[in-house]
Amino acid sequence: MSTIAGGPVRRYRPVSGLMILVLLVAFPFRSNAADSTVRVQLDATKIGPRAVEGLTEPAVTRDYRNAWSSLAQALEVNSLDSIRGAFTGDSQRVLTATITSQQKSGLHQRYLDQTHKLVAVFYAPEGDVIELHDTAEYQQEVLDGGKVIQNERVTIHYVVLMTPSADGWVVRYLQAVPQF
Amino acid sequence: MKFALPVTLVVVTVGLMVVALIGVDHAHGTVGIAAGSAMYGLTPKPITPKQALNNLLTEAQRRNWDRAFAAVSNLNSDDKASFVQDWTGSNGSLRSFSNLESFETRSMHITADEAQMRVNLHWTTPVGQIEDVRDFLLKRQGDIWKAVWPKTEVANVPAQVVPVTYLRWDLVSGGAEDEWGSKNVDAPHVRITSMNAADFAAGAVVMGEVVNEDTIPAFVNVNATLVDGAGNALDDESSFDKIAHVLLPKQVMPFRIDFPGFHLTKVKNVRMDVKATLVPASADPVIGVMNQKIDADVQGKSVLTGELLNQSGQTVNVPHVLASFYDNNGKVIWVADGYVERALLPLTAAQFAVEIPKTLRAHVHDFHVVVNQYSVGRN
Amino acid sequence: MRRLLIIVSVVCAAADCWGQSFDIRVPATIVAGDAATIATTGNGKATFYLVGPGVSRKKDVKLGEEIQVHPEDLRNAGAYLSIVCSDVCKRATFYVSAATPASLTFLVHPSRVPVSQGDAVSGVAFPFDPFRNLVLNPVAIDFQLTERGTSALSFSKAVRTENGVAWFRTSSGKSAGALQVGATLDGVSARRVVQQVASDPCNLRIEGQRTPLGMLVRTNPIHDCTGNPVPDGTVVTFTATEANGKSTLDVPIKQGVARAQIAASGGAVISVASGVVMGNEIRVGTRP
Repeated sequence: MSTIAGGPVRRYRPVSGLMILVLLVAFPFRSNAADSTVRVQLDATKIGPRAVEGLTEPAVTRDYRNAWSSLAQALEVNSLDSIRGAFTGDSQRVLTATITSQQKSGLHQRYLDQTHKLVAVFYAPEGDVIELHDTAEYQQEVLDGGKVIQNERVTIHYVVLMTPSADGWVVRYLQAVPQF
Repeated sequence: MKFALPVTLVVVTVGLMVVALIGVDHAHGTVGIAAGSAMYGLTPKPITPKQALNNLLTEAQRRNWDRAFAAVSNLNSDDKASFVQDWTGSNGSLRSFSNLESFETRSMHITADEAQMRVNLHWTTPVGQIEDVRDFLLKRQGDIWKAVWPKTEVANVPAQVVPVTYLRWDLVSGGAEDEWGSKNVDAPHVRITSMNAADFAAGAVVMGEVVNEDTIPAFVNVNATLVDGAGNALDDESSFDKIAHVLLPKQVMPFRIDFPGFHLTKVKNVRMDVKATLVPASADPVIGVMNQKIDADVQGKSVLTGELLNQSGQTVNVPHVLASFYDNNGKVIWVADGYVERALLPLTAAQFAVEIPKTLRAHVHDFHVVVNQYSVGRN
Repeated sequence: MRRLLIIVSVVCAAADCWGQSFDIRVPATIVAGDAATIATTGNGKATFYLVGPGVSRKKDVKLGEEIQVHPEDLRNAGAYLSIVCSDVCKRATFYVSAATPASLTFLVHPSRVPVSQGDAVSGVAFPFDPFRNLVLNPVAIDFQLTERGTSALSFSKAVRTENGVAWFRTSSGKSAGALQVGATLDGVSARRVVQQVASDPCNLRIEGQRTPLGMLVRTNPIHDCTGNPVPDGTVVTFTATEANGKSTLDVPIKQGVARAQIAASGGAVISVASGVVMGNEIRVGTRP
């Protein structure tokens, strides 16, 4: 080490560029900020027997987006509170069982950076139920305590039934299927 | 010494109670009492008709019934109860829940021994401010004046049994565990049959009529949203009490929705939304609306007057009148409403009046009156 | 050389060159309520996780042995993620599909319908398995409508489900009364009742009779245009127009007829209406 007036100066051995590249490949940079974005697009052009009303399409889109935001939050913090307004019937029953089971096992899940492409396939003649096919893409993380045991971007197909409630649309049924 | 503080407190408390008992409020807007001319809490000697009337109204406002009764000339002690009831209301009427907030008096005609005075009485009620205009006759008795109280005619309805045979609808909600699709009772079908949006003095008004097309009663709310040219909602309001909410099957009901402070120049579209829900209801009481006609009241305002005749055996505590006015094309050009302050006793009638705006009077070709009612202890 | 070794170590750590080598194999599809077996290879201890609709399990397992998944954990149809973690974690997804239909969710509208209205009655049926999973495989559902008082079917149609749903639409019958609506699938059925009610009053007519108190006015028995009696409780409005004013009375129908006592002392024209339907007028004490 050379000493200059004012104190010692350290010299560093340069790390090779190849080493940096390998480290980045082996241990990819992961941001800890959870991306809670939920994007939803709805295609109602193929729907029948009833045509979707002008105000119904944005309402369904908005409430479906809210439902998935609530679902993601519920599965991450293992709390039932956020799903109550957005889910009803069988979907609420299954989600409740999922969260209860997660509470017991110590697992939780994160659904990040979600994109949902919805196709409306059925709208009942009286407008009291709508069936959607959702091609959903999201980053799925499964955590055991604080340890990530699964982290993958997945594409899942969902069959969805939504019904009108007092102030919007709620998800009554949600089932993943291998294909439509 | 140790009793000085408690004694002082007691004396001050008693003094304040005395002051409270003998006089609380000044009558607001009272004309004729010069500041400082009367001791606080006591009314001055009624040496003029105006003073006499002011005294009567002030005491009535303060609910000092002995003093108020003393200001009246033509009643004997047997009439005191009905005199007090005239002011305070009875039978759960709207007057029973009201307070006389203020009044204004005006001389119409004065001679040496008689005077005609007109009073605008402002009542605070659970349904808002109500103004009542009455004419009083006052007569001199010696050196003081007293009011002549118009005796209220009580209908003499003989005791009888009135059977209730009209239909009643009850609502059974179903169990909490009912599966999806099994709770199959649709909301009643109602339809707006006419709608008219107009600018008025205080803002925009949307009015019209709605009909219950179903075979069961409906609880109806009509909402409207004013939309601008870009499709943005400017304001949304509800019909609130400018509608009778329970519609029996095939009943036609007027509604009016007020948008204070808005004008239709900015409005491109009006979006109507009528919500109907199931409700238990009864077809009783049947209230007839008799002798309807458009007249001028004592102030020269155009009013639709008539009589409500209760054809049932049950007291209607608060009758509420809704009237729709049509032009010669049958378009609804105004919807007015008014509450009757007296209860409607069984098989008896009561007067009503609803005001028609001056600007619309010339265009009114026909009208239709519906009676809403609130009765204690009924659905 | 030392540098090269470091580089290779780092890369291999990421690529699991020297970790426990194992694999998991899951069934392609499983029917809801059945048990499942997940095969593993390798040796040593591991932790097995099962994450799916209604289930979140964690247990210790031995690699190389089969992992049994209980039927209770596979009741809900959907996607299940099985993860086995040793030094590294491996995952596999499998799907559970619905079992055979055991119930029908049947939505029928409206609950009340005027008679003789085209396309007025509709129904939607969803088949569900015993675990409340929607059966997405096409199945045939029979819809039948029967009017009260007849044994003959007024409507019958078999519809194959598409995307798990079947629906129908038909006209209401001619007679007021209960309309039985049924949906059947392989011995599983659901029933609903639609109340057919009279339409708007037709040929609304009144007649009057002078009484000491004025005029007693009554309607003829009120029917719709197909002859069905208009239900009691329907409001009929009587209007009496005299020289000095107008009187109205909203009277509900009672036993098929509406009656009103109108205090018309002089000449009056009395008319009747119900909803938006007008009836006839009668003149009392005036020249025609």
